[in-house]
Amino acid sequence: MAQQTPSSNTTTGSSAPDGLAQKSVERLPESFYTQFLSISALKRKPSPIRGLFPLEKTPGLISLLAGKPNPSTFPFTSLSFKARSPTNPDEELDLTVDGDELRAGLQYSDTAGTKPLIDWLFGLQERYHGRVRGEGWRISVGSGSQDLIYKAVEAFVNPGDPVLVESPVYAGTIPMFENLNCEQLEVETDAHGICSTSLRSILENWPAEKPKPKVLYTVPYGCNPTGMTATLERRKEVLQLAKEHNFLILEDDPYFYLYYGTAPRYPSYFNLEETYLGETGRVLRFDSFSKILSAGIRIGFATGPTPLLNAIDMHTATSNLQSSSLTQAIAATLLNAWGYDGFQAHIDQVSAFYREKRDIFEKGMKKHLAGLAEWDTPEAGMFFWFKLLTKDGSEGDSKAIIETTAFNRGVLALPGTAFLPNGRKTAYVRASFSLTPEEDVDVALGRLREAILDAQKEATGA
Amino acid sequence: MAQQTLSSVIRGLFPLEKTPGLISLLAGKPNPSTFPFTSLSFKARSPTNPDEELDLTVDGDELKAGLQYSDTAGTKPLIDWLFGLQERYHGRVRGEGWRISVGSGSQDLIYKAVEAFVNPGDPVLVESPVYAWVETDAHGICSTSLRSILENWPAEKPKPKVLYTVPYGCNPTGMTATLERRKEVLQLAKEHNFLILEDDPYFYLYYGTAPRYPSYFNLEETYLGETGRVLRFDSFSKILSAGIRIGFASGPTPLLNAIDMHTATSNLQSSSLTQAIAATLLNAWGYDGFQAHIDQVSAFYREKRDIFEKGMKKHLAGLAEWDTPEAGMFFWFKLLTKDGSEGDSKAIIETTAFNRGVLALPGTAFLPNGRKTAYVRASFSLTPEEDVDVALGRLREAILDAHKEATGA
Repeated sequence: MAQQTPSSNTTTGSSAPDGLAQKSVERLPESFYTQFLSISALKRKPSPIRGLFPLEKTPGLISLLAGKPNPSTFPFTSLSFKARSPTNPDEELDLTVDGDELRAGLQYSDTAGTKPLIDWLFGLQERYHGRVRGEGWRISVGSGSQDLIYKAVEAFVNPGDPVLVESPVYAGTIPMFENLNCEQLEVETDAHGICSTSLRSILENWPAEKPKPKVLYTVPYGCNPTGMTATLERRKEVLQLAKEHNFLILEDDPYFYLYYGTAPRYPSYFNLEETYLGETGRVLRFDSFSKILSAGIRIGFATGPTPLLNAIDMHTATSNLQSSSLTQAIAATLLNAWGYDGFQAHIDQVSAFYREKRDIFEKGMKKHLAGLAEWDTPEAGMFFWFKLLTKDGSEGDSKAIIETTAFNRGVLALPGTAFLPNGRKTAYVRASFSLTPEEDVDVALGRLREAILDAQKEATGA
Repeated sequence: MAQQTLSSVIRGLFPLEKTPGLISLLAGKPNPSTFPFTSLSFKARSPTNPDEELDLTVDGDELKAGLQYSDTAGTKPLIDWLFGLQERYHGRVRGEGWRISVGSGSQDLIYKAVEAFVNPGDPVLVESPVYAWVETDAHGICSTSLRSILENWPAEKPKPKVLYTVPYGCNPTGMTATLERRKEVLQLAKEHNFLILEDDPYFYLYYGTAPRYPSYFNLEETYLGETGRVLRFDSFSKILSAGIRIGFASGPTPLLNAIDMHTATSNLQSSSLTQAIAATLLNAWGYDGFQAHIDQVSAFYREKRDIFEKGMKKHLAGLAEWDTPEAGMFFWFKLLTKDGSEGDSKAIIETTAFNRGVLALPGTAFLPNGRKTAYVRASFSLTPEEDVDVALGRLREAILDAHKEATGA
């Protein structure tokens, strides 16, 4: 059952009124990050216009500065919506974005995000990761977390750089690295998530003359496509290696709130760098509302060291300018109406929902695929990652089976080759269990069974 | 530089989902029953009756679609409406080698277009004073300047492939390209084989006396007789909402494909929810309602321009010179010095003008390498009438201060 992450220890907190509480935590300084910024990021200059904006606040000053449209020409006068109460399924909340909130939502706003949403998110990060505002890190809102991950990669990775990525890795990031001609160093994963021994081995055997990788990209909960979740031990080992070998961790965590395992929820890297490593500023964390509020609303947020977020925001300032102020206003209205307890209640329901879907799907897999496929049970997210077995134990090719016999039999799943950085052959398959109704699960897996048997017959000529 | 993106394995499989009877376990989409939003409504002013409000709802399938992941290029209801818009205002008919992609503001799409068509180090043609390459004047882009650059191009250097231009109410000059200039530019585009990135966020904020000049997107068909050189960028930021972040690109399918491939790896798509809100409003208005709204918006900015220009004539006559804008929201004016030498607006703005309580944008922000200039950009979109008079009075005093200082008088 998804649980709240414990707050950081009091010894590392900063709750003393004068802010001078005993700290055993080292906060990496701003100058630390220059070594991590890409040529592209270092070239970006802040706009000269922005430098003047603070002057607008001078009392009595009249500004002719900003090329903002006059809001009286915007036709929207009010916006309302209904949302289910997370504590009472029969109740709907009637919410309105009005007055100043709507005005702000309709006009250009700050690159990094609108204040009401950012304030709420700071509270969220404190509640779930124990990190206190004002300690060298901040938050930027993006048009989905993918928007921010893309910009982060551009900000910290130069063409040709080596990058550490879990393998198999979320297919959406492979093109980002390929476009930069990166050397994608595959770190093995297993049922407990990222293999720290594999990571250690790569780093300790690194040729002395080659620049070391500066970045690790990892999806610690319900990794897409494997569905696996990194245990506490693995996370601690990875953090130690990050410090030893001086790399940043891009913690992409869209399924953090879709955890339904039996073990207590493992703390995030963003939490552990403070509570365990005692040195903060290596983790850049990406959260998403796509799996819990709405995918179409396009709201994600990055949390991490201010210099890193500044680099991302400078990119935003020249590309899409900002995330939609209007959707941020809608989200902030909902989240403030729910409060953090309401949010937790909602998360409890969402993770329970996906656990049930997982159970139904696994029941079907046991029924139809026992002996024909092998898999580990996911404890977060929405994917099963399973290996199609051949009769003689040789390495199969799931793509061949999927695109021919499985398709012909009326079932479609995703060949694992899509998630391997070099697109090599594999027997693995990713199936999503988020959408399929119970009766279709049974039919689909039955068809898949027949397809695997077809393939086995073909292979043996039987 | 647009490259292979999003695994072809995945892309190749999605169309197969439509096969009748097939069960798909393909897409990693969240289950919409977990999304808490159950309905969304909004009110908008009727463009034809200012006292009337329209009560609009995004419901049922529209809301479902708005809450879920959707197509990279944009949602169908909005795209369909936009095709009708482009036919009405630019005479271009759907299905003739061009299409539309929605972006998170037009800037999102322009950025991706530049990334898609320009290699590092490439030459690009841009209007001055944005980068002081192609000159502009009161009639917009100077085709003679453009011709001169192209005809004198060193034979061994690769020629520029792209011209970036803002034909209506160009930021910062506020100038609008006349029909003659547009025709000449199109001829040059054909002769010297470059694409035109037509960035037109103030197209609907035109209030000049001359009949509206056709867009490049229209003229390549009606005048040049060869379509496919123009990639046009529209924005709703100045007419519906800046915060909603909706813009759209119209142009040759291969060019839009390149932009969409970038979107597919970066932000995935524009917000389906804001597209649903926009489509609901625009369908409720219809094209006639839209035109009525545009009429009001351009009349609004014309009035703001008139008020501002009245103030400039009153306070800055003999101290500044300018051309009158016929679109958009900017005045671009040159501060004159007593001896006719080239002034430095930045020095004046940041010191005496600021100290006197008025802030405007030094023109150096728009020149390469922060070159010195006497020009200033002032926006007239937001300032109330009484403040315009005070602000320009303060600016007058600041300019006179600078004159005194310069002459030691």
